[in-house]
Amino acid sequence: MSRIRLQGLTRRFGAVTAVDDMGLDIADGEFLVLLGPSGCGKSTLLRMIAGLLPPTEGRLWLGDTDITHLPPQRRDVAMVFQSYALYPHLSVASNIGFPLRTRKRPRAEIRAKVAEVAATLDLTGLLDRKPRELSGGQRQRVALGRALVRDPGAFLMDEPLSNLDAKLRAGTRAEIAELHRRLRTTTVYVTHDQVEAMTMATRIALLNEGRLEQLGTPSEVYDAPASVFAATFLGSPAMNVVDATVRSVDGVLRAEAEGLLLSLGIEADIPDRPVRLGVRPEHLTLTPAGKQGIRAVVTAVENLGSEEVAQCRAGHTAVSVRGPRPLGVTSGEAVTLAARPDRLHLFDQNSGRRLAWQAASVPEPV
Amino acid sequence: MVSGTFVEVAAPARNREAGTAGTAPASRESGWSRIRRLAPPYLYLVPAVVLLVVWTYQPLAQTFVLSTYSWNLVPSTPMVDVGLGNYERLLGTPELGRAVWRTVVVILGMLPFTVVIPVAVALLTRRVRGRAQGVYRALVFAPMLVAPVAGAAVWQWLLDPSAGAVNRVLGTDVNWLNTASTAQWSIIVITGWHVVGFAVLVVTAGLAGINPDYAAAAQVDGASRSQVTRWVTLPLLSPTLAFLALMTVLLSAQWTFPLIDTLTQGGPVSSTTNLYYLLWEYGFRSHDAGLAAAAGVLFFLGFIVVAALLTRLAARLSHHDD
Repeated sequence: MSRIRLQGLTRRFGAVTAVDDMGLDIADGEFLVLLGPSGCGKSTLLRMIAGLLPPTEGRLWLGDTDITHLPPQRRDVAMVFQSYALYPHLSVASNIGFPLRTRKRPRAEIRAKVAEVAATLDLTGLLDRKPRELSGGQRQRVALGRALVRDPGAFLMDEPLSNLDAKLRAGTRAEIAELHRRLRTTTVYVTHDQVEAMTMATRIALLNEGRLEQLGTPSEVYDAPASVFAATFLGSPAMNVVDATVRSVDGVLRAEAEGLLLSLGIEADIPDRPVRLGVRPEHLTLTPAGKQGIRAVVTAVENLGSEEVAQCRAGHTAVSVRGPRPLGVTSGEAVTLAARPDRLHLFDQNSGRRLAWQAASVPEPV
Repeated sequence: MVSGTFVEVAAPARNREAGTAGTAPASRESGWSRIRRLAPPYLYLVPAVVLLVVWTYQPLAQTFVLSTYSWNLVPSTPMVDVGLGNYERLLGTPELGRAVWRTVVVILGMLPFTVVIPVAVALLTRRVRGRAQGVYRALVFAPMLVAPVAGAAVWQWLLDPSAGAVNRVLGTDVNWLNTASTAQWSIIVITGWHVVGFAVLVVTAGLAGINPDYAAAAQVDGASRSQVTRWVTLPLLSPTLAFLALMTVLLSAQWTFPLIDTLTQGGPVSSTTNLYYLLWEYGFRSHDAGLAAAAGVLFFLGFIVVAALLTRLAARLSHHDD
C-alpha cells in the first residue's frame, strides 16, 4: 500500500509561505503531477514528502504510516533529482546499487539486481563508467535506475526532464510513462511543463503561490479550468480572457462587451452580471463579417507548420485564434470571431473562480 | 496529353546569402598594427612578471650560484669557487639525516591538526545553525590571527616548568621546552594550535562547495547520517583534503620556524632542528653562506619531487562535479 496523504501541510520560510495548507490524497498506483510556475511551492512540497524538509504544520501519511517526523532514510520513497545528483566518485553500477548498499544487502544480490535494472534501462554497457563520462540522457537513466533498483513504495521526481534537449525529452517522457504503466508504482512528479503534465498524469495538481488551484484529470483541468489562473496556465497559446457582462436578452443569456457579442445558449432571465469570459484559441472560428461574435483586427499570423495562429486585437485586448493552416487571413484584416456556447468559460470578476450555470427548479405554472 | 519531367530542386547556393561572388582574398595586416593588436595582454602581465623575477627567480638563480662558493657573508671577504664541495660537505654531515627525520616527524605530527581535527570540527559546526555557527568558527580561527612570536611568548609562559598553567592543570612538573623528548611535540602542538583555524576554514569552504543534492539523494536512498559522511561527503571532500595534506608536507617545517626560533632555538641538543632551522643555522649562525645555499638547493629539489607526486595524487582524487 503506498497511498500518500497530505493533511494541512504547510511550510514557511521566515515570512514567506511556500506551501500553504495543502491537502492531497494520492491513490496507490497513481501518477500525480504537481504542476505550476516556478516559485509555486511544488518542489518544496515534494521535498517535504521525501523528508528532506520538515513541514511547519500538517501531517503526512504513506500507506497507513504517519511519516511526518520520519527521516528520509526510513521513508519508503525513491527520488529522482533535477540535477540527477549522481555520486560523481562512484561508477554507474555503484550509483544504481547505492540504495541496496545502504540496506546492507549481500554483494551478489546487489550485482544481480543492478544488472537487471541496467538491462531494462539499456545501461548494461555503461556500468563501469563514471557519471562525468555519460551524456545527459544516460545520466537521466542512471538516476531512474537508482530509484527503480529497490522497489520503493513511491517515486518522487523533481523535474527529471528539464535538463534534456527537446527531442530526448519527448522520448524519455514516453519511457517514464511506459515504466509507470508496467510497475504501477505511485508517482509524484513535479514539472512546470504543461505537455509533460497533460501526457503523463493520471491527475494534475495545479499549484499557484503555495496553494492548490485545481486537482483533476488532464481533461478536466483543460476542459473545465477552475480559475482564470488554471485557464491561462494550460494551453498554448493561452486561453483568451476578456472582461464582459452577462445580460439576458429575450430570455437568452449572452456575453457582451464593446465589439463582442456571444450567445451563452442558456435560457434564463437574470440581472446583468460582470464576468471574465474565456475561450481557447482553437475554439474560435472566423465567420463572415456582420455575424455576431468578437470584432477584431489581425495583427500578425504565426506559422506553426501544421497550424496557424492569428494574433488579433479586439478593442484593448489581445485575442489569439488557432486553426488548421491556412487560416486565410492576413495582417491588418478585420475579422469576426465566433465560438460555440459550450466552448465558453465564465469566471468571477473578483475571485477569478469558474462560474458554472445551475438551473433553478422553476415551479410549474399552475 | 500534357507531358513533363521531374526536376531536382537545387540546394541553396553557398555564397548567395553573403552577397559575394567567389572567395575574397584575405587582407594583409601591417607589422605595426599586428604588434598593437597582440601587445596589450603582455603589457598587462609585465608588472607581475617583473616582481616574480626580482623577488623569486633571481634569488633562486643566485642561490644556485652561491651554492658553489665558499663565503662567510662578509662583503669584504672574497668568494671562493669550490664547485660541488659544499654539496659533498653537506651530504657528509650526520646532522642532515637527523634533520630530515625530524622534519618527517613534524609533518606527521601536523597532519592531525591540518586534516583530522578540521574535518571533525567543520562537520560538527555545520550542524550548528545561525549566529552560533559564526561564533564557533571565529573562535576556532582566532589563533591564526595571533602573531606567531606573540603566541610563542604566551605559550612559553603557559609551559613554564615551575609556574606554568599546563603543568598545574596536568599535575606534572615537566620542563616541556627544555627536555629533548618533549620539545619537538610542544612545538608541533603550538604550531597545530596556530594553523588549525585556517584548515577548518579550508574544509568548511570545501564542504560548502559540495552540492547538497548528493547528501539529500543519499538520505533518500536510505543512507544514515554516518553513511552519508563516509560514502558521499568525505570522498567528495578528498580534493580539499589532498590540498591540505600537500600544504602540510610542504609548509609544516616553515610554520614551525618562528616558534622554534623564539622558544627553543633548535634545542635542546638539536631535538627541534628540522630542515629549515638547520639551513638557517648554517647561513646565519655559522655564516657559511655556500653550505646554506647548497642545503637550500637540495631542499628545493626534494620538495619539488614531493609536491609533484602529491599534486598528481590530488588530481586523481578530484571528481568533476557537474
